[in-house]
Amino acid sequence: MARSKAPAKKQQKKGIDFKKIKRKLGRKLPPPNNATNTEIKSKAIILHEQSVAAEKDGLATSKKGLTLKELQLRTSHHNAKVLKDTLHGFQDLFKHHPAELQSNKYTIIQCLGKLISHDDELVREAFYELFRTQIFRACKEDNKGLVVLLLMPYIFTSMTNSSIEVRLMAFKFFHLVLEYYPPTFSLYAEKILENYKDVIQKNHFYIQDKNKLEIVLSGLAHCLSLLPCDESNTDSQRKNETLLAYEEDAAKECVRFAHVSGILKEIVGVLINCFQDFIPLIHAPRGFNKQSFNCIHHILHSIGYAIKFSIRRHSQRQATWLPASEENTMMILDPYIASMLSKKLLGSFPLNCKNNLPEKNDELNSVLTEIFLEVSEWSSLPSDLSNRFLEFLENALQGKITRSNKLSKSLLSLLPFVPKLILRVDRDQRDNLMQAFTITFNDCKPDSPLKLACISVLKDLIIPNGDILYHNDPTVNNYQRAWVNKLPSLLNQLGDKNPVSTKVVLQLLLDLARVGCLNASTTFEEEISNFFIPCQEEGDVPGGPFASLPKEVQEVALCFLYYFIIDNFSSRLLKAIVSCCLYQQLEPAVLFRIVEILHSAYKAGCIQITDHFSFFITLIARFKVVPEKLESAIECDERETYCGTFKQLTNLVCSCLSEVGDSSLVLQILERVFVEQIISKPALDNGCAILRMICALDSKPTRLSESSVTTLSEFLPGYLIDIVNCIPEDKENSYLYIQTCLYYLVPCYFLFDRSSKLTEQVLKRMRSMVSENTKALESVQDRESGRDSLNLIQCIVSVILLMHNDVKVRKLISSSKSEIDLILQNVITLQSSQSTSLTVEGKHMMKIAGERLRIAFNSLLA
Amino acid sequence: MEISVIASSSIDEGIGSWDLKTGKEQLRFKQCASPAHGLTAVGEKFLASSQLRKESTSSGSIFYWSWNKPQAEVRSFPVEPIKALVANNEGTYLVGGGNSGDIYLWEVATGKLLKKWHGHYRSVTCLVFSGDDSLLISGSQDGSVRVWSLIRLFDDFQRQQGNTLYEHNFNEHTMSVTDIVIDYGGCNAMIISASEDRTCKVWSLSRGKLLKNIIFPSAINALALDPGGSVFYAGGRDGKIYIGAINATSEYGTQVLGSVSEQSKAVTCLAYCTEGNLLISGSEEGVVCVWDPKSRRPVHTLSSGKGKGKGPPVNNIQIVRKTIVDNSNKTQSSWKRRGSLMPPPLEKYERSGEDTMDGIVTVDPPPFSDVPVYSSFLSADLIDEQVRELQQQGSAATEIEMERLKLEYKRSLQLNDQWQKNYENLLQVVMEEEQIGGSN
Repeated sequence: MARSKAPAKKQQKKGIDFKKIKRKLGRKLPPPNNATNTEIKSKAIILHEQSVAAEKDGLATSKKGLTLKELQLRTSHHNAKVLKDTLHGFQDLFKHHPAELQSNKYTIIQCLGKLISHDDELVREAFYELFRTQIFRACKEDNKGLVVLLLMPYIFTSMTNSSIEVRLMAFKFFHLVLEYYPPTFSLYAEKILENYKDVIQKNHFYIQDKNKLEIVLSGLAHCLSLLPCDESNTDSQRKNETLLAYEEDAAKECVRFAHVSGILKEIVGVLINCFQDFIPLIHAPRGFNKQSFNCIHHILHSIGYAIKFSIRRHSQRQATWLPASEENTMMILDPYIASMLSKKLLGSFPLNCKNNLPEKNDELNSVLTEIFLEVSEWSSLPSDLSNRFLEFLENALQGKITRSNKLSKSLLSLLPFVPKLILRVDRDQRDNLMQAFTITFNDCKPDSPLKLACISVLKDLIIPNGDILYHNDPTVNNYQRAWVNKLPSLLNQLGDKNPVSTKVVLQLLLDLARVGCLNASTTFEEEISNFFIPCQEEGDVPGGPFASLPKEVQEVALCFLYYFIIDNFSSRLLKAIVSCCLYQQLEPAVLFRIVEILHSAYKAGCIQITDHFSFFITLIARFKVVPEKLESAIECDERETYCGTFKQLTNLVCSCLSEVGDSSLVLQILERVFVEQIISKPALDNGCAILRMICALDSKPTRLSESSVTTLSEFLPGYLIDIVNCIPEDKENSYLYIQTCLYYLVPCYFLFDRSSKLTEQVLKRMRSMVSENTKALESVQDRESGRDSLNLIQCIVSVILLMHNDVKVRKLISSSKSEIDLILQNVITLQSSQSTSLTVEGKHMMKIAGERLRIAFNSLLA
Repeated sequence: MEISVIASSSIDEGIGSWDLKTGKEQLRFKQCASPAHGLTAVGEKFLASSQLRKESTSSGSIFYWSWNKPQAEVRSFPVEPIKALVANNEGTYLVGGGNSGDIYLWEVATGKLLKKWHGHYRSVTCLVFSGDDSLLISGSQDGSVRVWSLIRLFDDFQRQQGNTLYEHNFNEHTMSVTDIVIDYGGCNAMIISASEDRTCKVWSLSRGKLLKNIIFPSAINALALDPGGSVFYAGGRDGKIYIGAINATSEYGTQVLGSVSEQSKAVTCLAYCTEGNLLISGSEEGVVCVWDPKSRRPVHTLSSGKGKGKGPPVNNIQIVRKTIVDNSNKTQSSWKRRGSLMPPPLEKYERSGEDTMDGIVTVDPPPFSDVPVYSSFLSADLIDEQVRELQQQGSAATEIEMERLKLEYKRSLQLNDQWQKNYENLLQVVMEEEQIGGSN
């Protein structure tokens, strides 16, 4: 088929293939009458690949009407112009029909690959653009490794092409590949680095053409940044592996980069030479432009990465005794590299560009400083050189050099070196550095990344690898104290908006508190207390953020609290904790954890027993179980949860109390407090909890004193009536109702069981209440008060019936049958009362109550 | 040798002991109020326990009981209250962890304080020896777990070099460490530590890093290792005994072995007895319960004879094998001389100056060279003493003995001659008779 002609005939929409050709060759015979119709009719006959134009109807085409197939065929065309058009055609096609690319990507990549080393620049550019804008973007979710695998052979051949331009394009394209799929580097590391080395080394004249050099260097810097430089990422991955299982060869990546170090050494050498070539440009008045800056920037970064990697390999090998390979010595200890480093690279510090922004200058200098700090840890450098760097670092910390966005980023990378540096340098320099660090620490904003970096460095400054250093150096201690004293206020400033920073601060505080080097001042304590006090609506003081932090941050805070209590317990702090515990929005789990932690601290002997008890009592007495009365079903659920929380809390407190020591002694200590709480008439739930605490500590027969028993006997009738009053009778689920009541009743039963006197007194009081109210009903005419009295009597009857329901309690109350009898008498008198305050309904109620009570009473007699 | 369970309490209720098989209560050792991890059997010879003291007293105390007497026989008073106490398997050394974080190493036979060093920043809560007694693992209230090599502790050269004393420092726990166990992996062992931060962490001894973190619903008080090695038991403060799988994929360990009773109080201590595969738990409410870990059921409870009421809160359980030391045992001659079967009390202070250098066998090859390492130390003093004793028994005695032996030797030679003559005579007689018989 002659495809090239197809576009020309395009305007003839149909029938180009089956055009009717009219021929006049005599007449036709009419069809015979008996002829059979042999015509075959079908709805459509689809014939494949017979028509160029017809086919294109349903197919995706580029602007010029070419399909994918046609474009692919054209990629092997010899003419550069055609090729360029083809590549544009691809771009056009993919733009409008992304699906085409998806389904054919591997074949497309395969037939395009060879174009990377095409002689014509425009073709290469078009090729690059095509991949950048379309192909890589479209293949984001695919098996990237396969795509790269198809491309790499072409890239490698063009990297060694004789034409410089082609090679440059290869590097540029490789950089693109790297961005698309970073693991590419680790797959071909050695080969790639070799190519980079060649291109930088053999083409010194690029200095003239920095644009091109920049392309190469930026790619190299990217490559080297992919070398694993710190352990953190690999360790975190290994955290959840199965133990006791077959272990694969140590860390895989460490095997992967095993043979890189030799070539890295060479590259560093080459880069340093390249850096040397730039030096005259820096000092020349107008020689330094943006490109040169970028070049130097990339060079320095590349060197930095290479050195970091080699140091890391070294320490890793020492830690795990990896088999010794050819890279026995560290790169910076290699004599050749070391002298290059100190003379040619670091020796040129500080860089002073004549006509350049000071910012950029500082940026380069700070990268150099980073390299210096990395190197100086391992080898000694001339002291005047070190001094220059230290001065620069101090200035950077003090904010004397301008702080643009980029610079503060480079300051971030310098900060981690400060702790080790302080250990290394002599006294004066150390004090200067600490001073400078203090300035940085104080000046930056609470939520800035710089602050975060400062805080992470602080731990190493105060307790390097978990040990306290400089025990008795007053200046150092002063600085340390100043830093530490800033932390609590920082916590409150951070609030609940920056949980990450808050967590880091708390972690630091925890680490410091663990080794006991907080030396907290009073303001410190105050701030910590404020941190725990939650926002109270009525108070005008804004509350601390603790209660609204995420759970894991709260956990760290509580661990810190444990150690803080051990060292600096104060009643102020305890108050803060109590107010936090009583905060409505606090998660129940956190509440329980606080109780647990305080109990641990008590066990460790750091909280006085009185404080500990008062904490428990306050918690139990003040904990608000809301809503007290429930209306709708939703609230009902809520009440359940609150009740559930409070029930669990009561259990927890009871078990803590019983762990304190001999329970009779504990009861003796607490008895007075319990009685005080009871006199103040707590809410139903709190009252129940207090009674439960008494029961947990008491034994049979009761150890409570006479007066306490009397107080209890005054309290209990009201409490019992409350139970009946507050818990709505659930007719449909009487079992659940009885269970709920039982929770509140059980402590009373225990008390009755332990003291028959109490039983008697309680019943007596209830009886007198009934008789008083009966009298009142008969005398008072007011219906309102009458209803109340009636209600009360009914409640008392229900209480007695509930008590009667329980077999054991029935025995207990049978001893005071007479009281019950009197109550019954009162109820009966009411039934026949003529008082106007009594409605018919009321009388009916009394009748039912009387009937039930009579049955109960009779069974008591039996 | 018999196996029995001993349990002590934090209040002054003595140490109860039971026969493991029958559950019968045995002798009750009196006057003991031990802190958690403060009870240990010294070898199979006797029982030692540190004592809780009133806060006002500055010094601590450690008591010894021999197997057959209820009263504490030897009382020593170290400079500060000792919390954790442990002896190595043979019972030659006793290690105590103080309230201040200092760790003390005594030689039992002489009572000498061989070494005292600052181990932690807060009080030491538990101490464990590794299976071969070469390493000591300590846990502290400050949340750190440290591994000490007993050899390197005495390496003054290394210390002067500024190296840290410990082999490993595991710092990931955020609250007080409550218990530590080490499995049987030798130098590749795994260490499991429990903490009040509601986690148990698994550490690798060889790699010196955290392998696993298991979170529990409650603070863990006690640990026991299953001999299978893949599972451990953790006694929670909520009264439940949890089963922690070392290999679990999830971070949470929630499998429960069981709880002693419905409303039970904290489990305070666990011990695993490989004879019979039994797990023994002690709890705050004073119940010592024996479990069958396979069926996850309690087998029986060990109760004190006083009555059916619950005993005092238990905080230590140990499984001990007793060997009663009697007079015939010649090796302990230096103890015997003092008229008692028990070793002398522990000394308060390290001997200073030359005396210490003199007293300790110096280990001069650094530990990483591959010279075979001394498996156990005996202080040179002890050896000296025994040599001296031998010498004192004296030359005269040996000479007499030699004379006697010589005489005996002579006599036996003569006897031998006699026998030979007799034999020859007899042989001749028999031969003659044979000849006569043959001729007949």
